Amino acid sequence: MNDATGTTDVRGQATEADDAARILDQRYRPYAGVRHGLAGAMRALVGSSVRFTLGFGRPARHKFLPWLAVVVALVPAIVFVGIATVLDIDLISENILPEYHQYYGFIELALFFFCGIVVPEILVADRRNGMLSLYLSTPLRLWSYLASKAAAVTATLAVITVGPLLFLLVAFTVEGSGPDGLGDWLTVLVRILGSGIAIAATITAASLAISSLTDRRAFAVIGVILLLLGSQLVTGVLVEVAEMDPRIYAFNLGEIGDALKDRIFGVGPPSPLGEDDGSPGLRISELSTLFVVAANAAWVVAGAAVVWWRYRRIEAG
Amino acid sequence: MNDAAAAGTVLVSTAALTQRFGSTVALDALDIQMRPGVTGLVGANGAGKTTLLNALLGLRPPTSGSATVLGLDPRSQGAALRAKVGFAPERDVLPDEMRAVDFVRHLAQVRGLPRSEARTRASDSLWLVGLGEERTRTLGTMSTGQRQRVKLAQAVASDPQLVLLDEPTSGLDPTQRTEMLTLIGEISNEHSVSVVLSSHLLEEVERVCDHIVALDAGRLVADGPIAELVGDGEGITLELVDIVEPAGTVDAVESTLRGTGIEVERTGTTLRLGGAGRDELSDRARDAVADAGARIRRLEARQRTLADLFEASAT
Repeated sequence: MNDATGTTDVRGQATEADDAARILDQRYRPYAGVRHGLAGAMRALVGSSVRFTLGFGRPARHKFLPWLAVVVALVPAIVFVGIATVLDIDLISENILPEYHQYYGFIELALFFFCGIVVPEILVADRRNGMLSLYLSTPLRLWSYLASKAAAVTATLAVITVGPLLFLLVAFTVEGSGPDGLGDWLTVLVRILGSGIAIAATITAASLAISSLTDRRAFAVIGVILLLLGSQLVTGVLVEVAEMDPRIYAFNLGEIGDALKDRIFGVGPPSPLGEDDGSPGLRISELSTLFVVAANAAWVVAGAAVVWWRYRRIEAG
Repeated sequence: MNDAAAAGTVLVSTAALTQRFGSTVALDALDIQMRPGVTGLVGANGAGKTTLLNALLGLRPPTSGSATVLGLDPRSQGAALRAKVGFAPERDVLPDEMRAVDFVRHLAQVRGLPRSEARTRASDSLWLVGLGEERTRTLGTMSTGQRQRVKLAQAVASDPQLVLLDEPTSGLDPTQRTEMLTLIGEISNEHSVSVVLSSHLLEEVERVCDHIVALDAGRLVADGPIAELVGDGEGITLELVDIVEPAGTVDAVESTLRGTGIEVERTGTTLRLGGAGRDELSDRARDAVADAGARIRRLEARQRTLADLFEASAT
């Protein structure tokens, strides 16, 4: 393509230097296609938040911690499958390997690590760099923004809570030591998905609540870690040492989530000492399923309420 | 030209729009109309410009009164409205680690575009604002001028009918400011995207805008086509050279002109003359200068400026 001031290539870019040269085809044009509205906005935000949390499109230092957590969660499963393949016996039925619900003991560290270090960034960053105000100038509203963020965190946490167990289920099935029959297989699958998502939702709500209270990522990290570990320590002391009512475990994010997982798998929690020694620590198994479900729901509702309250104040400011 | 930009169309209108924060009146019963083209929303810091933009986006319900933007009520149809409006806030909102093209694509998706279309338009928008070659750079490595352009690119990427730009020249040097204003003019003229440009700098609003809405402490000072509000005024401006020999020439010219019944406002060596026709004022000024032995630096017809509007409002 030629013009009066010089030549341009097929993309309309000048190929000969000339002070008067201009890009005639600026490519920007009207758009009359489909627009996805609020649903599309939420999908876009969930997708970008998941990628952000896992470090995609970010420098390597932001990929290290989330993927370390995923690896920590997956490595035991890979080892178990390796052992099962080498020894060629049904290790779960023989009680050599932990059952599916017992695998959460191996995930817990990765889960707490992920929640403490990675999750706070997902809310704090948008407030710190001002993206929140830009998001609210789009079809997103406060509730849809927060719902998208919560969905993104829950989905990412589910990679840790569900991923390794799904890997175990599929690997054991292929190896020949999986659940018997399609019915059992589907039951285990539903239990894995249900417990994984339930635990992720509970911890997500708590982590986001803490993260909403500060614009400093470091403070949020400390707050989440204190909540996760502190609630374990305090309730453990109150119930096991001071022999108080085991319903106090409702305030123990780890224990109450663990109890819910056990109820979903239809088993009681294991003794911390590996045997029924009658200590008060075992009495969480005496709590009704309704109480356990309600306690987990309360964490989700309370966490959501704190986040909503905090963001309403930010919006009003 | 998009539908809303049809001649005579009112893009934005408000009726007694009022916003109070406690005892502070941020917007005081505003009745304004904005039409296609570039509208300058002008006023000093704290005049209520950002508050008005937030009200037009439906981000904050007004205390009283109403607004209509692109035929939609920001309060009840906010989501539909914001899908049609691009916005670039004054605050630096760019995440440093993101690439420019990813940032613009993401915002285009959030504004409702499909992923593939958002990717294409993000690239196109960055070319439009002159950052085509820089589109894969991370935002943290960009200069202030480039970051302002990225904010503009994300505002136009979804092909909005209306773009609200809050102080888009903030932090720019004079050259960058001129480039940004030129760009904004091109976006409006060549791509039929109407723009509301918020600024506290009167001269840049005069340079690029077709209409202005001027606010002062939440009150409406002026609203209309800029050609009617600024431009040719009455009288002439005579600026003299402050020479040593002969002495007192400026005083002599002033005295002579006053003696002939001409209205004179003096600021230093500049005399603003009124009270007669321009031809007569020019003749009298020429004669007075010749008689006093003074030297003319500038003699021109007086222009009404936005500053005059604000001065008149203050008095």
